[in-house]
Parts: sequence; C-alpha cells; structure tokens
Amino acid sequence: MERSLARIALFAALIAALGFVPKIDMGFGVPITAQTLGVMLCGTVLGARSGALAVLLFMALALLGLPILAGGRNGFAALASPSVGFFLGFPVAAFVTGWLMTWSKQVSTVATFNAAVFGGIVTLYLFGIPGIAAKAGLSLTEAFWSAMVFVPGDVIKAAVAALVTTALARARPGLVAGAKEPASAQF
Amino acid sequence: MESGIHLQDVSLTLQGKPVLAGITLHLTEPRIGLIGRNGSGKTSLLRLIAGLVAPTSGSLRVEGARPSDRKAMLGALGILFQNPDHQILFPTVIEELAFGLIQQGIPKPQALTRARAALAAEGRAHWENAPTHSLSQGQRQYLCLLSVLLMQPRWLLLDEPFAALDLPTQARLRRRLDALPQRLVTISHAPEAVQACQRVLWLEEGRLRADGAPDQVLPEFGAEMARRGAVDADTDL
Amino acid sequence: MLTLTSSRQTWAHDWPAGVKLGLLVLFTLILFALPGVTLTALGLALPLALATALGLVGDWLRLLRPLLWVGAVILAWHGFRGTPEPGVIAVLRMVAALGAANLVTMTTRLSDMQAVFLWLARPLSPLVPPARLALAMALMIRFLPVLSLRAEQLSQAWAARSRRRIGWALVFAVTLAALDDAEHVAEALRARGGVG
Ligand SMILES: Nc1ncnc2c1ncn2[C@@H]1O[C@H](COP(=O)(O)OP(=O)(O)O)[C@@H](O)[C@H]1O
Ligand SMILES: [Mg+2]
Repeated sequence: MERSLARIALFAALIAALGFVPKIDMGFGVPITAQTLGVMLCGTVLGARSGALAVLLFMALALLGLPILAGGRNGFAALASPSVGFFLGFPVAAFVTGWLMTWSKQVSTVATFNAAVFGGIVTLYLFGIPGIAAKAGLSLTEAFWSAMVFVPGDVIKAAVAALVTTALARARPGLVAGAKEPASAQF
Repeated sequence: MESGIHLQDVSLTLQGKPVLAGITLHLTEPRIGLIGRNGSGKTSLLRLIAGLVAPTSGSLRVEGARPSDRKAMLGALGILFQNPDHQILFPTVIEELAFGLIQQGIPKPQALTRARAALAAEGRAHWENAPTHSLSQGQRQYLCLLSVLLMQPRWLLLDEPFAALDLPTQARLRRRLDALPQRLVTISHAPEAVQACQRVLWLEEGRLRADGAPDQVLPEFGAEMARRGAVDADTDL
Repeated sequence: MLTLTSSRQTWAHDWPAGVKLGLLVLFTLILFALPGVTLTALGLALPLALATALGLVGDWLRLLRPLLWVGAVILAWHGFRGTPEPGVIAVLRMVAALGAANLVTMTTRLSDMQAVFLWLARPLSPLVPPARLALAMALMIRFLPVLSLRAEQLSQAWAARSRRRIGWALVFAVTLAALDDAEHVAEALRARGGVG
C-alpha cells in the first residue's frame, strides 16, 4: 500500500524531472524532451494501473500551475496549445504500455520496445493528432503529417525505455513490475 | 503491560542471504548502544525492532505489542533513519512535523498548532514554511528528530545519528539526546559514541558477539577492530 | 519553490482560488464560442488589460513566450495554405486562453490551488481517498527537486569525464533513484503509521 503510493508519487516526480533535461523544440509546440520517455517508463516499470496513476498525478500538479511540462510550461499551457491531445493522452499511453508489458512472460528488451511503441507512440498519437488539428486549425491529414516529424525521436525514446527497463529489472529484481504488476497496486 | 523490547530467537533472511541469526534480547535500559562493522546487521536489527521488516523466524514484542499492531507501535517507538533524506516526506517543515500527529489521530488544525508550538519552543518558528530540501544536513536530521519526538514515543531508535554531522553539530545533538526522557537505542560504529550507555550490544555477521556494560564490551571491540584494520582489511571492505 | 505564483502581492491574490478558476472556465468557454477575428482579439485584450492593471504585465508576457514558436508556425502554415483567418483565430485563442490561465496561476498560491483541486476531486473519494491524494501530491512536490538535482549532478559528473552528451545512462540512473527513493519513502511512511 505505502509502496504503491510511494512509487506513484516518485514516478510522477520522475516525469517532471526528465522534462527538465535539456531539449530541442521542433515547432508545433511539441518539444522533443525526455518527458514522454518518463510516460513510457511509468508503463514499463510500474505497470498499467500504477503507471497511469503516476501520470495522472503528474498532470494534476501541472494543472495546479507547476511549470513541470517540457519547456517550463504548466498544464494550462498544454491545454491551450496544439500539444493538448498528447497531454491528455499521457495516462492512456502509460496504461496501454503497462498492459502490453503483461503480454510477455518476462521483461525483455524487444517486448518492452514493442510495448513502448504501441503504448507510447501509436496510442499517444491517436490522442495527439486530433489535438493538433483542433488547436492549429488543420485537417486531420495535415495534422497527421505534421505529427510524423516527432516519430523518429519517439522511436528513439521507446528504445531507450526498453534499454532502461531491462537494465532496471537486472539491477533491482522484483522492483520492475513488467509482466506481473502486483495485485496490490492501488492508490 | 509487558515492558521493554523482547526478541526471541529472531532471524532475518533477505533475498536468500542470512542477515540476522538467532538473536534473543530483552532491552529495558534507558541508553543502549549497538555497535558492529559495516554490514554486520545493525540497521537491519533496528528496522526489525521498528516493525519495518518482519523476522523470517522468531518473535518480537515492543512494550507488549506485536510489530504488526501499527497503532500501538506508533506510541511505543520512533525511529530515526541514518539518512534524513530517506525519512522526510513533505515539501515544507510544518507539514513534516504535523504528519506524525495526524497519523496518531489528532485532527489537522490541532496537529498544526502543536507543530508550530514545538518549532517556537525550539526557537525555530521561522522554519515553518521553509522547504525541507533547502535545510542543511544537520538541520534535516534535527527536523526528523523533532518530528519523531512530537509523537512522544517511549523508545527512540537512532541509526548512526552522528555520522554525517560536523563536530559542533554532533555535540549539540548529543546534548539534546542525553536530555531526552525516552529510552534510546543508538547505532554507531564508533565506540566513543556509546561509552555513556548502560548497555552495549556488539553485532558481528548478524549474530550477537557481545552484550554487556561498555567497560566489558568496548575494549574487546576496540582491540578486534584494530586487529582487523592491521590485517588485510580491504579484502572485505 | 517551483511555482509560477508571483511573489508580488496584488489584490487578485486575495480572491478565493475557486472563484478565479470558475471565472477562467467561463472565460475560456466564451472565448472559444466567439466568432471572427475582431471579437477573438477583444477576448485577448481582457487578460492583457487585467495583467496591466495588476502590474504583472512583464512576467505575464514572459510566460507566453513558449507559444511564440507555435504561433509563428501555425500562422506560416495557414498563410502558405491561403487561409489566414482561421490561423489568426487559432493563435489568438491560444494566447488568450493561456494568458487568462496564467493570470490565475500567478495570483494564486499553490496550496490554495491544491485545496480547490481536492474539493473538485471529492466525488472520486471512494476511489481516491482525499487524504491519500493530498499525501501523493505532497510527496511528488517533495521529491521533484530531489530527482532534478540528481539528474543535474549526474550530467555534471558525466561532463567531467566525457566530451559527449549524456544519454540513456542519465535516464537509467534517475529512474533507479526514483525506484530506490520510493522504497525509502514507503518505509518512512510505514514507520510513521502508514497510509491506512
Ligand atoms: N534489502 C536487502 N536485501 C538484501 N540484503 C540486504 C538488504 N538489506 C541489507 N542487506 C544485507 O544485510 C547485511 C546487513 O546490512 P545492514 O543491516 O545495513 O548492516 P549495518 O547497518 O550494520 O551496516 C549486509 O550484508 C547487507 O548487504
Ligand atoms: Mg547501517
């Protein structure tokens, strides 16, 4: 119980801390930072439920006005900008990533990469693209192509998430949820 | 009510590694020292007494309460971790102080009032809204001590309380601890720190190597440490 | 502390946070319903006027800077497409909505925002007990500077020994720190009575 709560809170802080790592901004208000990497890691390390809760907690603090989103923005800035869909899709992305982790018996680099790609990229973009279309006044097709700019960066992040998760599973056996998120995972 | 801390043939195995073995103790003295080399199991023993890990075998009572009885344990015993950063849970000093009281069932407004009063009594009223991470190491440790003392436990477990402090801060903390009415169990790897205790326990590889008055235990401990230091100590650093 | 709250006290600091947030929601709803460039521009004039009246206009403008790039790209794209009007409206709305939200953030203490949030979350209390939510928020605020500092120390330690930029090793180390700190936090919570 305490552990589950502590992991959720610490990983919410982790998403924010990774957002402070220097980044490059490629336009359309969706900076390339390690932040979405944090979201992927919530899913791959904490599992679906705790991972999604960690992301929700992070979003809550951003909406209280803390400038913890990439580029020093807060939740309101995210809601007002074309990256709104990505912001709102974060918890779903973490959940899907965590859920896909349960498909393989153990934490492997390939399985984790796949989970991060489908959860942290495919699922996230399903939310992100309509957001770009709505906020920038573009058609869905235009929004889709503009979002493709970020795919290479995100694929790299999925690979990093996979490497980090498997390394963590080796360094701290039992602390990486991976295939078996503890049944006690709750807020 | 049964008094003191009872351990009956307690063993602890962590991830297949025996960390503590066959420990039987009845602790009642007001000042108890716990010494031993790095990795000898001192911290593990303290965590076990505090109910933070369950023994693999054997049984344990603190003032008659089982460690799983968290409510009774909160009033019976407080623990100060070696690293205050592992203990401080809140962004501001006042929240950190009030938390333990709220946990003991005191309504939040009263808890805040009492925490404020405690700070004022220590001449630290200006700390109230200070961010905990901006305090110095000594101040953070002091905050941990105040938080635990506010809960008024009968026992206080201290894990190397002096290790990270400069000499003046050490002296201040020592005076403060000496004046406490609580029973203290203090871990140290330095014999001087437990010289004034009524009883000293010496742990070696998870077993009780010696248990008695400081005059009996400390000379032998000092000799053994000197002998090991002279031999090839880095093989098991 | 890490917040955008202005340290300079203004009269708006004394307004209840709930009222300010309510007005913000109302303003945003109306803003997005306004047709045409002129009316939307008027919608932007309101937060600008308020920021000036409060004497916060400098900081207020600075907080809008992240949108500069985005705005420029949207305008350029719509110009290229030959549809300037929806482009201008999109940018005006974005700036006005964020500008209004920033005004609330700048004049409201974090603890007051938190109180409103916990109040709003009350319907969820069977799922997410408010005390636990408050504890989780406090823990996150406590450990955010800890993990950020860790990341910074690691990149410095790396820079001291390497000419390349730190890569996934940093992410690994910070995530490991988060996992380990979570274990310590869980233990510290248990030592003081747990989360019930
Ligand atoms: N969670 C754990 N898992 C596995 N081994 C542990 C764990 N905690 C402590 N140990 C081992 O138990 C032994 C005693 O550790 P500890 O109680 O911290 O000693 P001390 O405080 O005397 O330095 C050490 O060898 C340590 O490696
Ligand atoms: Mg120790």
